[in-house]
Amino acid sequence: MISVSERDYITKGVDRSVRADGRARLDFRDLNLETGMITQASGSCRVTLEGGTDVLVGVKVEVGSIEPDAEAAADADDIDDDGGARTAGGGGPGTDDTTGSSGGGTHARNRGRISCTVACSPSATRVFDPRDVESMCNEYSQLLNRVLNSAHGGVDLAALCIVPGSTCWVLNVDALVLDYGGGLLDAIFAATRGALHNTRIPRATVEQTDGRVEFEIEDEETEIVAGWEDVPLTVSMSKIGYRHIVDPTPLEELCSSARLTVAVNRRGNLCALQKGGEGGIEPSLLAEMVQTAKQLGQTLLSRHDTLLAAEARRIAKGVDPTGFR
Amino acid sequence: MAARLEIVSPEGLRVDGRRPAEVRRVLTRTGVLSQADGSAYIEQGNTKCLAAVYGPREPVKRAGVLHDRATINVEYNVSSFSSGERRAKLRRDRKLLEIGLMIKQTFETVVATTSFPRSEIDIYLQILQTDGGAVHTAINAATLALIDAGIPMTDYVCACSAGFVNDQAILDLNFLEESADVPTLTVALLPKSGKISMLGLESRLHIDKLEPVIALASDGCMQMKDTLDEAIRISTRNLAKTVLH
Repeated sequence: MISVSERDYITKGVDRSVRADGRARLDFRDLNLETGMITQASGSCRVTLEGGTDVLVGVKVEVGSIEPDAEAAADADDIDDDGGARTAGGGGPGTDDTTGSSGGGTHARNRGRISCTVACSPSATRVFDPRDVESMCNEYSQLLNRVLNSAHGGVDLAALCIVPGSTCWVLNVDALVLDYGGGLLDAIFAATRGALHNTRIPRATVEQTDGRVEFEIEDEETEIVAGWEDVPLTVSMSKIGYRHIVDPTPLEELCSSARLTVAVNRRGNLCALQKGGEGGIEPSLLAEMVQTAKQLGQTLLSRHDTLLAAEARRIAKGVDPTGFR
Repeated sequence: MAARLEIVSPEGLRVDGRRPAEVRRVLTRTGVLSQADGSAYIEQGNTKCLAAVYGPREPVKRAGVLHDRATINVEYNVSSFSSGERRAKLRRDRKLLEIGLMIKQTFETVVATTSFPRSEIDIYLQILQTDGGAVHTAINAATLALIDAGIPMTDYVCACSAGFVNDQAILDLNFLEESADVPTLTVALLPKSGKISMLGLESRLHIDKLEPVIALASDGCMQMKDTLDEAIRISTRNLAKTVLH
């Protein structure tokens, strides 16, 4: 709900690159990140933005079975079985098919998976209509699922396989929105990446005896999630008038006609692209927005990595997280 | 029955090293959410609960409006990553709705709703991690959040749980104890009047044992009252400091 004069005020401000809170169009708000406060989860991370956005992501790992008809045909640019380096993103499907893997079918049967859910705590939903909340959560869950399970999702899904063809690790990523202050999707991805950095998977030792494969899970020995550093972050840009801004506040989100979400990883690869909102984006503006997002993504990632490194040091020192205290 | 983990050892110690009448370590913090009118966070042992209070404000649903008092809505939610095994969040989990209703009725007795006719007070409780005693931790968090929101109440609502095992009443059960078929009684008490505002028991308990268990739970509630009172006084003092300087 926004008045005409307020909308006009915000639009004119954005045009001059002076937003209501004084930021320029491409300025992000300060982000606070903390990991490991949910001790019963395999990994957790909480991200808070200055304007009130508060997202908590918990990751729980469990042993699951590899789906027998796992779709592999669509994974044209899949990880090749030789364990070689993945090709840089942007290289078309053609380049990857030439690797010596034995066809699409075996790929998905040798990987674990990540299952994501986004939920809104009731304290955050008062801003929205309940039906909008559900569709928003669904949209974000689907995006998160798609990005993390894709070839450029970062996490090494092949490393999550325990017994090829039958058992694998399933990472259940549950994002909980505790409070809403705009810029939700970016905060969710930031918290997810942080939670994956914090996640520890118990070591699984596989033994083959008389043709039967058995595995044992050791709780004491844990491993990090391989490939967490390559998990992308998203930069969501909102089109207001003829300009675009990043990290919108709730009022700015109400003024925006279209939203473009770009997922970028630390190698500079474009991992996902999604347009939301009712308005249209001119193709020239679109190209410009994508380029801007790629650059901003690198800034975000380096800030994120710095915060995570500080968290790792804190944990190594044995200092307890402040959590909500 | 197969031999199980001893809930109370022969030396009188429980699995986490507590004495039978000992409450877990409690940590509290108020004003944790910037957007809510009142909020609180409580950690009781490993159980963590976040409470947010909005109100009194204009009701979202016109239907439930009362002409002479405020309506209280309580939503109780448990996170998927909160317990040992991940549970997928079910749409309208009946159990959670029931708990929300129970907590609503508990607070209706103490909140001065007649001061705010035709309005709504919303209490949102989120269990972030559960190690037993989620319901009573949520009630305590709601009390702190309501006070943090400045909503007038006639008394604190302090809650605690107690059980009975091996001829002994134990206080503040953790997850292991709750799941070991120990009858668990959750009690919410109004300390000034000594009245019991909520009572819940989910398994079998011999009638003779009921009184000592209630007495122990009430004792636990009085201990919680001291903790909650201390938390409020500290946060009020801090607030006064910021205002006066």
